[in-house]
Amino acid sequence: MKHFETHNYKSNFVLEQGQYSYVYIRNFEIPPLEEIADHDAVVIEVKNLDFVRLIVNAVRSNLDPDIYLTPIFLLKKDVLDDVPYIEELVDGSIKSLDDLGFVNKEIDKINIRKNSLNITSSVSFEAQVITKLIALMYVRELKVLNPIPDKYSNLYYSFPFMAINFEEKEEHLALKILNLAEEEGMLRSEYFDRVYLCSSCSGSHMSYREVCPKCSSSNTTPDDIIHHFPCGYVGPMKDFSNEIDDKLDCPKCNKRLRHIGVDYDKPSVIHHCNNCSHNFQDYNVNAKCMSCHTDRSVETLKAHDIKTYRLTKKGELAAIKGFTSTSKDIEDVVGTVKYDTFKTMLKYEIERLKQTLGDSNLCAIHIGNSSQVYSKLGSELQRGVFKDLVSVIRSNIRSSDVIAFWSSSTIVVSMNDIPHKIALRITGEMVELLSELIKSSFDDLEVNFETKTVALDYRKPHEMQLRELLAEFD
Amino acid sequence: MEGILDSYMRFLATLTPAYFFELFWFYFVFEFIRYFFLEFIVLNLYKIKSWTQRDKKEDARRRLFLENPLVSILIPGKNEGKHLYKLANSLSEQTYKNIEIIVVDDGSDDETPIIGRSLEKAGLIDTFIRNELRGGKASAANCALRFAKGKYIIHLDADCSYDNDAMEKILIPFFMDNRVGGVGGNVSVRNYNESLVTTLQGIEYFNTITTGRTVTSYLGIYRIISGAFGAFRADVLDQLKGWDIGPGLDGDITVKIRKKGYKIAFAEDANCLTSVPNTFKKLIKQRLRWDKSLVRFRMRKHRDILIPNQSFKFSNFISAFENITYNVLLNFKWYVYLGIMLTYYRPLFLNIFITNILLYTTTNYVKFVVYSLYRPKAHVSMSYFLVYLPCMVLYYGMYLRAVRTVAYLQEFFFKKSYQDPWNPRKTSIHGEYLGI
Repeated sequence: MKHFETHNYKSNFVLEQGQYSYVYIRNFEIPPLEEIADHDAVVIEVKNLDFVRLIVNAVRSNLDPDIYLTPIFLLKKDVLDDVPYIEELVDGSIKSLDDLGFVNKEIDKINIRKNSLNITSSVSFEAQVITKLIALMYVRELKVLNPIPDKYSNLYYSFPFMAINFEEKEEHLALKILNLAEEEGMLRSEYFDRVYLCSSCSGSHMSYREVCPKCSSSNTTPDDIIHHFPCGYVGPMKDFSNEIDDKLDCPKCNKRLRHIGVDYDKPSVIHHCNNCSHNFQDYNVNAKCMSCHTDRSVETLKAHDIKTYRLTKKGELAAIKGFTSTSKDIEDVVGTVKYDTFKTMLKYEIERLKQTLGDSNLCAIHIGNSSQVYSKLGSELQRGVFKDLVSVIRSNIRSSDVIAFWSSSTIVVSMNDIPHKIALRITGEMVELLSELIKSSFDDLEVNFETKTVALDYRKPHEMQLRELLAEFD
Repeated sequence: MEGILDSYMRFLATLTPAYFFELFWFYFVFEFIRYFFLEFIVLNLYKIKSWTQRDKKEDARRRLFLENPLVSILIPGKNEGKHLYKLANSLSEQTYKNIEIIVVDDGSDDETPIIGRSLEKAGLIDTFIRNELRGGKASAANCALRFAKGKYIIHLDADCSYDNDAMEKILIPFFMDNRVGGVGGNVSVRNYNESLVTTLQGIEYFNTITTGRTVTSYLGIYRIISGAFGAFRADVLDQLKGWDIGPGLDGDITVKIRKKGYKIAFAEDANCLTSVPNTFKKLIKQRLRWDKSLVRFRMRKHRDILIPNQSFKFSNFISAFENITYNVLLNFKWYVYLGIMLTYYRPLFLNIFITNILLYTTTNYVKFVVYSLYRPKAHVSMSYFLVYLPCMVLYYGMYLRAVRTVAYLQEFFFKKSYQDPWNPRKTSIHGEYLGI
């Protein structure tokens, strides 16, 4: 059923139809992007694909979720070839503005899912890109992220939802971040293809050439080697070439070569380097990077697997609940150890307790309203908060005790060889200090610290004790 | 046994000098004079010349290092891959450093292409050329020569090893006399203690190469630069356009260089060790090939040396004449001697035979001990060979003589060298047709 509803121009860029308002981009005019957040969708009139690409990139690469998650539709009045890169980034196309009614259902669907998201600001660029990716995939119900062959891409393959975040020269970082997202469990991958990237600039626009193994010049000339049986002379064909009648004459005995296999043969081929005069049979294959102009052996190229990615359930949940930091971000905080290392050390502590029957404790400090907190802080500030928290905790515990991030909102601390009562007291003091720190640093930021401190039981496995400790913070 | 001894003692008692000469003229005229007396005199003259020219030699060495010319080392061969790493490594130890190593694989059917290619990649050899179709040793050497850039060319066999100053020593004669077109290195036996046949070849190489070539070189009639270790001026090889088809190509190219008017020198202190055949059967095969080439090249292809014409050169004539006389003619003359002894002195034949053996053995001992004093430093103690010297009469006088005889007859009457599988048939057929 067709929707023939009238549409009204509210301004040069805004179009309304019923309850929906659209940002309408045409005639190579670009509206202020922040306006997009106030409207239901963007409609771009397709006349020039480069212009469309520019607009779509600008919208999707914006850092504001209300802008980058906005549905985009293309208005294709003429029949144009689909550009896979652009098609991947938009939500559909219409043939005339009269067809807008057809896409409203899609706009509703996207906006409902968009509103269910709780997007927090991320600690790192990596986390930010992952947040954008899983949010875009979630609201579009895009289960699979397929690499698209793209001659404009520096990798020859494009993940449009990733590529929007990078300059052309940095596109290889998209692969790293996708792998990081996979390590975090947000995505699941399947092998698709392999690309070889320049070891200097990670570009993949290479020119492959056979080069001289001595001087790496590609200015080489191949020639057949000829063996003249009667006199035993052997040399490249040019030695035998007769300029007068274009026949082959032996330079040693002046006999004319007549019949291959009878009076001569060609036992091999040799290459002559016109640059250094080296003669060789086994040439090297070099790859010249068209981006940074380095010219190296193909063996130095870095192989990267191109994969298709599926959004996992964990990825969907992270999109809804907010994804603050990657495990890499919290591992990097000075004064902490990796969570796996923490577990190993805890295991040894339990083994030690079996011998000494001493008192050791395990403490968890959790930021109850982490989503709100991180939303209010910029990524740099978040990193600062992580560092400050760890620094306050470190100053209250012994140097032999260890700290690790279980998640971006929960820190675990070992407090060994002290009675449980004292551990509880120290924990209380730490929370007070942390609260004061936040108050003194941020005027309108309220952080709810929750703590739990348990005495280590040497009869229970370390993993079980950690599970019990962290159960209420999951 | 006692009877034989009694008879022999009576025989000795009857020997007057004239009668002695009548019975043993062959030994005196050909063996004693040529291979002992003449060699002894020449060795002494050579020693004097070496001493008087020691400053000239040192100056030549200095000029070699001053000029430091690029030297191309050619290693042609088939299925020689297993020797290549060791050889390339030993060449990197040479005192003369400005070398390029070119290996040509003549259609090997083993791992040689892989080994050669990896050595080229590792930089241990400069150029490795793999010819899929086997063309024979000459074609492989010519292929290497075509791509050589050096001012001097050294031809090596892959299964040989070299003293670390061997390349330097073989180049010095070029700087002592600019008329020298080629220099032969001194080839000794590496596996001399592997079996009786290798030990006897060790003695033979000492006599015929170390001593023999020193003498012929001094006399200006040195006629064969071993393929195992020979150096050439690149411009001379360029004029000749390399080697002609074999077998026997090393002797052939030496003659061709001589015919161009260049001198051939022997560098007795440029040491090369080679592995020789370790069974009598394998040795027969090798020697049949070598001996046939004497007839094919000296008496057939280069017979013009013996004919006085415009390009006639006395030293070349003597070189070929001496070679043909002492190797071919005397070989058959020995049968004449044997016939005369069996015909006219049949009752005394056993005594003549015993005396000949004693004469030759005594000469061998004297030669071996005395000539050792003239020999440059060796890789093995000479005393090791002393116990084997009596076998040399049978080895050289009987066994090798028989092989030589067969080879000469085969080549004279059947041109058997053209059927030798050492060379591919596709090339031999042309050699036979052209008579080269």
